[in-house]
Amino acid sequence: MANYKVVRSLPTIIILIILITLPLYASSYVVFVVAIALLYAMVAAGYDVLLGYTGQLSFCQGAFYGIGAYLSAILTVNYGWSFWLAMPTSVLFVGLVSAIIGYPALRLRGAYFAVTTFFLAHFVYLLFLNEVTLTGGPLGFRGIRPPESIGPLSFESMENGYLLILFSFIFIYILLRKFVNSNVGLILKSIEQDDILADSIGINTAAYKLLSFVISATVAGFAGTMFAHFFRLLHPTTFSWFLSEMVVIITLVGGVGTLIGPVLGAGIVTFILEFLRFAPEIRYIGWAIALIAILMFEPKGLIGLIKRVGRRWKYA
Amino acid sequence: MLKVTGLTKSFGKLVAVNNLSFTVNEKERVAIIGPNGAGKTTTFNLITGLLKPDKGTIEFYGKDITRLKPYQICRAGIGRTFQIVRSFPNFTVFEHVLVGAISRYGPRAQVDLLKRQAEDLIQKLGLSSKRNTLVRNLTIVDKKRVELATALALKPKLLLLDELMAGLNPAEIDECIELLKKINEEDGITLIVVEHIMRAVMKLCNHIIVMHYGKKIAEGTPMEISTNRDVIEAYLGEGVAYA
Amino acid sequence: MIDTLVLTQLLNGAILGLIYGLMAIGLTMIWSVTDLPDFSQGGIYIISAYVAYWTITLLNAPYFLALLIGALAGILLSVSFERVVYNRLRPSGVLSCLLAAIALFFLLENIANALWTPKAKIMSVPETEVTLNLFGIVTSYHRIIIFITSVILFIFIHLFIKYTKIGMAIRAVAEDREIAALMGIDTSKVYIATWAFGGALTSVAAILISPLYAVWPGMGTLPLLKALVVVILGGFGSIIGALVGGLILGLIETFGAIYVSAAYQHGFAFIILLLTLSLRPRGLFGRR
Repeated sequence: MANYKVVRSLPTIIILIILITLPLYASSYVVFVVAIALLYAMVAAGYDVLLGYTGQLSFCQGAFYGIGAYLSAILTVNYGWSFWLAMPTSVLFVGLVSAIIGYPALRLRGAYFAVTTFFLAHFVYLLFLNEVTLTGGPLGFRGIRPPESIGPLSFESMENGYLLILFSFIFIYILLRKFVNSNVGLILKSIEQDDILADSIGINTAAYKLLSFVISATVAGFAGTMFAHFFRLLHPTTFSWFLSEMVVIITLVGGVGTLIGPVLGAGIVTFILEFLRFAPEIRYIGWAIALIAILMFEPKGLIGLIKRVGRRWKYA
Repeated sequence: MLKVTGLTKSFGKLVAVNNLSFTVNEKERVAIIGPNGAGKTTTFNLITGLLKPDKGTIEFYGKDITRLKPYQICRAGIGRTFQIVRSFPNFTVFEHVLVGAISRYGPRAQVDLLKRQAEDLIQKLGLSSKRNTLVRNLTIVDKKRVELATALALKPKLLLLDELMAGLNPAEIDECIELLKKINEEDGITLIVVEHIMRAVMKLCNHIIVMHYGKKIAEGTPMEISTNRDVIEAYLGEGVAYA
Repeated sequence: MIDTLVLTQLLNGAILGLIYGLMAIGLTMIWSVTDLPDFSQGGIYIISAYVAYWTITLLNAPYFLALLIGALAGILLSVSFERVVYNRLRPSGVLSCLLAAIALFFLLENIANALWTPKAKIMSVPETEVTLNLFGIVTSYHRIIIFITSVILFIFIHLFIKYTKIGMAIRAVAEDREIAALMGIDTSKVYIATWAFGGALTSVAAILISPLYAVWPGMGTLPLLKALVVVILGGFGSIIGALVGGLILGLIETFGAIYVSAAYQHGFAFIILLLTLSLRPRGLFGRR
């Protein structure tokens, strides 16, 4: 029994080791791409709590990511705050905003909710674009500094920035895992399957839906702050509707409701996009076709595919 | 314990429930019967908060619950099952009943307490052998058992059962009647059932309310109801299962 | 005398509103018949505009021919999406179909990007760029064409839905799918007809407005969003609602852009959406 458990976590351990030691042998370019992939993975995992465990399709992850990024940037650059103060503040702010928006919005069902979040994301994007005094608008927001050093640990270098992101990701992922496997997670799963029945057995579905919305928004906001201080340049187009779309797609492709699926999805998507960087037109097309194929043939996403292959392997 | 006064609900021009009033006392076993479309399920939906009445009030232990949300009404002590069985298809039987217990005791309750509650109910409803089966793979009868077990996990004081026995064979019906009697007598849970199976109603309940076109047309003991002219008239021509 | 500037903007707002309305009719039909808010119409909007563009520039065809061919492209895409994708995904639930619709939108947008580059193209229709001066209102021949075409289409659709056999079948399925099937209506034919309508309307809307605003790969997102708001504002499943809602949005946007804020003009749709959903969720003419 103990052996089996070790064997199962072996791939995870190997991957973790590879990731942690990445800066030692990989080029800066690869480290950079992996960092971005990890950020996407963070947002996607948080989003899975909303989509996979409560069944709410939303398109405003990009907006929360952006708010976190811009707010942290503004606080540190324009007001001289320390990153270690600006980051939690931004995260809290995103949480608050999402609670205020979520409270009325979550009363909407299915498609109405999706459309509203769609609009919301676009509205926030317009804000980023037009409020030039705050955000620098189309010219971008430059000069963001990396997080201040803690003692001897400096985050100036890209490699150290990457490690910060990596460990943040691991931390967030573990938290989300625990959350999803807890009793509250079970409640969320019940809401996803039949929210009327859940209401009838005394579950305050509105409150739990709001909770998962706020959690996924907060995670996105946190990832946004990490992004701002790693990439050090912000531009409104990064946070357009396209980003929210990507998050949804990643989560789906990886496997909704599995938490690890979207993480894998983020990794694979980022890598494919980077590989096809040389054929810019094709990458998104091939990508969209793959997505449709997945929806049609393996709705459970990559995880579903892996499980299916694994099953056949066992019985072969 | 439950007092319904002047309850009225219309859908456009259709008056589904028309000035309905009745009282249910503790420990009673009440049946609401009537032809299809009489407004029985609508009444349940009004009591449990899924619908808001146009007029009238519903009081539970003296407290006005008319405008409460469904989850609040459940927490106040009223549980229900649905006419077309509802469930969480991807849960195992255990998880299904467990979530009911979690709802009752809160997510931070002791794990052992929650587990015990769930296991007890699973055993009580005869589902022990299917503890780890996914609910979507169960037969309708077992799904109903799971639905009932979950509702019981909330420790309700009043249980509303909407056509629980539909689709059961005679042996299962008898089993169900015994189970409901046990729940009522041993656990002290008051029952209101909507049923079309007259045999079961007569055997199980001592207080019967008859509805027709949204109105209450008769109320009384099984003896009184079976000899009531209005009731007989209402049922004439409608299929009533004499199981 | 009313300021002619205001009158001009009134006309412009109405025209914009008619365009939104056209697209909204297609969407509301699809949504009420198949339960799917069809996001892929946004992609069809884009492609049909480009097809029309090609017809004009490559084949030197007259505008109305381009309109027809573009509409045909829209119908073809719409119907094939239904037959190939949505049909298969329907048993898995609306969410899967919605995600597929989004993926298709994404796909079409990027195909447009690849085939025609991100640079905006001008669809110039010299015949209709003639400016007119009607009672002091400065407008163009083209805008009048949009106006007339839209009105004709609205009337046509209204009559079609009300009096033809297919129209009634569509209404029946929109009301209650199961009962319609039980009454012997072939739901798959109705679906095809509905999607054909949707594709046609979206393409026509796109091609009508293109000479005024330019053609570029990202042109589909905002119209789709606006059309969805119009569907919700006008009321789920209501064609009159789509018309009225479209006009309201078009006018508010046009005047809002002038008197309130040009940068946030797209935000008015959002405000209307929020107001509708909180004050009158079933829309102006909706039934549920």
